[in-house]
Amino acid sequence: MDNIAGTKSGLMWTVHISVVVLVALWLFPTLGLLVSSFRTADQIASSGWWASMFPTEQSIQLRTAPPDAQVQEGALWVIEGNVFAVEGAEPTNAGEISAWGVSARDISAYQPGETADMEEDGRLTVEADGAYRLENDVEFEGRRGERVFVTATTPPEFTLDNYRNILGPDNREGMARAFFNTLTVTIPATVIPILIAAFAAYALAWMDFPGRALLIAAVVALLVVPLQLALIPLLKLHNDIGIGKGYLGTWLAHTGFGMPLAIYLLRNYMVGLPRDIIENAKVDGATDFQIFVRIILPLSFPALASFAIFQFLWTWNDLLVALVFLIDATGDTTVMTRQIVELLGTRGGNWEILATAAFVSIAVPLIVFFAMQKYLVRGLLAGSVK
Amino acid sequence: MNRHLMAGVAGLALCAGAVQAQDLMVPVGEGGFNWDSYSAFADGHDFAGEQLTIFGPWLGPDAEALENVLAYFREATGADARYTGSDSFEQQIMVDAEAGSAPNIAVFPQPGLAADMASRGFLTPLGAGAADWMSENYAAGPSWVALGTYAGADGSESFYAFPYKADVKSLVWYIPENFEDFDYEVPETMEDFRALMDQIVDDGETPLCVGLGSGGATGWPATDWVEDLMLRIHPPEVYDAWVTNEMPFNDPQVIEVLELYAEFTGNDDYVAGNAADTAAVDFRDSPKGLFDSPAQCMMHRQASFIPAFFPEGTVVGEDVDFFYFPAFEEKDLGSPVLGAGTLFAITNDSSAAHGFIEFLQTPIAHELWMSQEGGGFLTPLTSVNTDVYVSDVRKALGDILLNATTFRFDGSDLMPGGVGAGTFWTGMVDYSSGAKDAATIATEIQSSWDSLK
Amino acid sequence: MHPALQGLITIVLGVAGCVGYFYFSNQFLDKVLYPARGENAGRNINRANQIRPWLFLFPAIFVLGLYLAYPVVETLRLSLTDRVPGGGYEWVGFQNYAQMASEPKFWEAMRNNMLWLIVVPAFSTAFGLLAAQLTDRIVWGNIAKSLIFMPMAISFVGAAVIWKLVYDVRPIDQDQIGILNAILLGLGREEPVTFLTIPFWNNFFLMIVLIWIQTGFAMVILSAALRGIPEDTIEAALIDGAGPMQIFFKIKVPQIMGTIVVVWTTITIVVLKVFDIVFAMTNGQWETQVLANYMYDKLFRASDWGVGSAAAMIIMLLVTPILVWNVYNARKEMR
Repeated sequence: MDNIAGTKSGLMWTVHISVVVLVALWLFPTLGLLVSSFRTADQIASSGWWASMFPTEQSIQLRTAPPDAQVQEGALWVIEGNVFAVEGAEPTNAGEISAWGVSARDISAYQPGETADMEEDGRLTVEADGAYRLENDVEFEGRRGERVFVTATTPPEFTLDNYRNILGPDNREGMARAFFNTLTVTIPATVIPILIAAFAAYALAWMDFPGRALLIAAVVALLVVPLQLALIPLLKLHNDIGIGKGYLGTWLAHTGFGMPLAIYLLRNYMVGLPRDIIENAKVDGATDFQIFVRIILPLSFPALASFAIFQFLWTWNDLLVALVFLIDATGDTTVMTRQIVELLGTRGGNWEILATAAFVSIAVPLIVFFAMQKYLVRGLLAGSVK
Repeated sequence: MNRHLMAGVAGLALCAGAVQAQDLMVPVGEGGFNWDSYSAFADGHDFAGEQLTIFGPWLGPDAEALENVLAYFREATGADARYTGSDSFEQQIMVDAEAGSAPNIAVFPQPGLAADMASRGFLTPLGAGAADWMSENYAAGPSWVALGTYAGADGSESFYAFPYKADVKSLVWYIPENFEDFDYEVPETMEDFRALMDQIVDDGETPLCVGLGSGGATGWPATDWVEDLMLRIHPPEVYDAWVTNEMPFNDPQVIEVLELYAEFTGNDDYVAGNAADTAAVDFRDSPKGLFDSPAQCMMHRQASFIPAFFPEGTVVGEDVDFFYFPAFEEKDLGSPVLGAGTLFAITNDSSAAHGFIEFLQTPIAHELWMSQEGGGFLTPLTSVNTDVYVSDVRKALGDILLNATTFRFDGSDLMPGGVGAGTFWTGMVDYSSGAKDAATIATEIQSSWDSLK
Repeated sequence: MHPALQGLITIVLGVAGCVGYFYFSNQFLDKVLYPARGENAGRNINRANQIRPWLFLFPAIFVLGLYLAYPVVETLRLSLTDRVPGGGYEWVGFQNYAQMASEPKFWEAMRNNMLWLIVVPAFSTAFGLLAAQLTDRIVWGNIAKSLIFMPMAISFVGAAVIWKLVYDVRPIDQDQIGILNAILLGLGREEPVTFLTIPFWNNFFLMIVLIWIQTGFAMVILSAALRGIPEDTIEAALIDGAGPMQIFFKIKVPQIMGTIVVVWTTITIVVLKVFDIVFAMTNGQWETQVLANYMYDKLFRASDWGVGSAAAMIIMLLVTPILVWNVYNARKEMR
């Protein structure tokens, strides 16, 4: 007995550890995106996201205050301050300087506390905490301060600006409208295909009629139709019959594009349901419609729920179908994916916004996933067989 | 009671005023703008109640800037003008036009696509008046007209697309303080430029940052290089023959240019990182090497839009500056400039759409965007007040456009899409990785061109 | 009207319409057309049962026909025509196919697609099955599932950034922002690796992205199937002294074989259509072209609808073995 318990707990440990490894592998890339969503574009492009969580040694370019900050001390003209200070504000995110320089030729020529003689440009001393003193025998001229290259260990720095950019007041109104528009698209585009597909799947699984196998094959064949090809004929059709661009056309399009997979998945699940239940019901005089509504639908809940999750996801994250079938040139019926694309520049490359947007738009699908998960219950079937 | 009411009305009026001021970024009549052209246009056009839809590739700050210009068109004509942008513009405009739900006006980033649409009969000719106006009023006007002139569905040529908003491509970006630290001079000739590259290598630094990566469009920065070099070693006639394929792509004169390109960017000493890996570096990331500490490179050849990808807070003209990508002194080809422009074409005819094209012929339509940072707007229109440019740097860029002795458009944009946005890009990627030699690449591109004929 | 309210009304109307159709059409069939009473009761029931499948199937067939079959026919027609300059089309027979076959890029795409078809469905299904089985009985299984499922929920633009942060390469003297290169350099490699430009192997780096995404799909479907297995079969095996491995491979896997095959088939078809990943990461350069991206290239870049449609027909042809197999299976089930 002990022995069995021992192997059992050992096995459980193996399971736990394997799942941890698997989850870690799957999560790790996304973690990079999450961390990046709290960084500025420059930070993302200049250092790895993993490095941002720890103090790092970096070489950066800073400037002394401009010449208009100078004061006269006897015969000397002096500018004092802290190189980490931004435009007169208190130094933020100060680092620990390990070396510094004043020329691109040698960016770590000096140790903290040493003085660099820049000849006609004066003499500069920089301390480890960033405090500096620049002095000269003649008045400083020009508009900009002296460049200082420092090699410093800086503490981690994160920002909420990206989230402010997407959800902030400037964009909130548009985003809220896009949110409702997106829901208006996704919910019918999820529910309607499931209903239609469930009936069709039942017919293909449990009803006997000529041409059934061919129909099943046709459904599989249609899974493969590339979306890009369907766009022009269908939009033309919508324009011809007067639907034009709008919600109705979008629901129909999503229904059409999601239908083969829905039928295929649901049919496969329904075929696996125990034959006795259905035959018993038939013997009891139930019609196919009753059997479907009272027995098949409840039993198929796990399959319905899993397809609902996917169809919801696709319609939620879809941009192409929305652009072609929904959003007309007036731009009133915008959806969230589009609202986010609007924030990106024309030439792309705004990775910080992309990263943030990914987490903003993932929230609802994850809630749906959690909500649906309780329908993926074990034993529903087992219970009803007994 | 009465007083309260009055105060309320006054408050409302104030609000209304505030709203209006928000809509128009500069009140009509203020600043150095050409308001006469605005009033003349407003007097002659009334599209009250009409809707005008404009669809283009611009997003973000570019779209905002255009929106600000549109506000004046709305104010002047009463039309309900709306712009929408898409990152998949090229695909969508094709789908919309084929299906019959095109917007009134489409903004084409590339002439190739516009020419294709014109040949299928989706564009409305703008009329000889617009073309004449452009040859007179744009610097190097005839070449701008040629950019928007295509064969229509019946095979006859007309002016279909109105170039508005230009980019200058022949620029080299550098950091003046780095040049100061190393005592480098801005090169005036290509001979000096190449000598400078060698000097930089001798100093233990790297001359160039090159990045060809651009997701689905990877390779295009290399095509700009090739075009710029072509204009610097061959007369413009050769360039014209090349982009129209009168001269085949695998002509020795083209191969010569490809090999020259490799001399610049195929050398590990000249290029930051691995010269064979330039295609793996994103073009948006590559200019950042200039600003690194220590600097990854001293110079970066890229078009006038690139400051949008400089680190935040960079001041062009102070932190970073540009010089004209110089010409060979010995070749005596003048100072050729490579550029690009976006084109406005009517995809769904209406009187407001024609009115909008006429609006683009007023100086004010150009000046309003010139005065904004977003979009990096430049114009070849000679009648504008260049003082309204948002910065001195922008003005200097605009001057390059106005003063070019030879002006040519981005050749890859002029080639058919399958070549200019296809095999030319992919060919340059293969070439820069060293996988194939120049002659092989050129022959492959030519055969892809043949298959399109 | 508030868009939310408008949405709500349409949802209710749409759903009510669907339910109404099924309910009333069945009522009509049973009560009015062929009532199961009177002298012809027996014949009427039989007739009603012959018609009923089509009542159930009609909306699905209608939508499928209009939204998928009609474009296929249209595509077939386009693939046999070429655009005439100046508008209209001309019949060119198989010329587009011939042109395609003469392009090395097409054959490269075929080769790569074969690789994708073997690797991605196999690994996605295997990982999905593993994840479904392992998370089934542990306390935090649902959380683990959501985390593995997350890549599916991330929009494609997000996924592109994620993998850029994995595969990105910087010159050796710069900080790497791609984690793989950072790890490799940390382990003592001299030169960073440009993952996406090494011919042949880069295909596998792209496949990893799709496997990462599709595993969530496989997991959810297979997990639902695993939970559908009747407890008594497992209990019986436990009593017989079967170990966990035996139960998994000998009891569970055979019972959900149908679902495994469905998942495999679905992912195979996703692979045939895969386009975004290749488009965003390499655009088919460095020998990573796949058929779907080749098709997109022809359709919207070269605006050569003839060859683009021909490529689409090839994609559809590749699915034929799966079709044949499905017909065979459906016949077997019917018996």
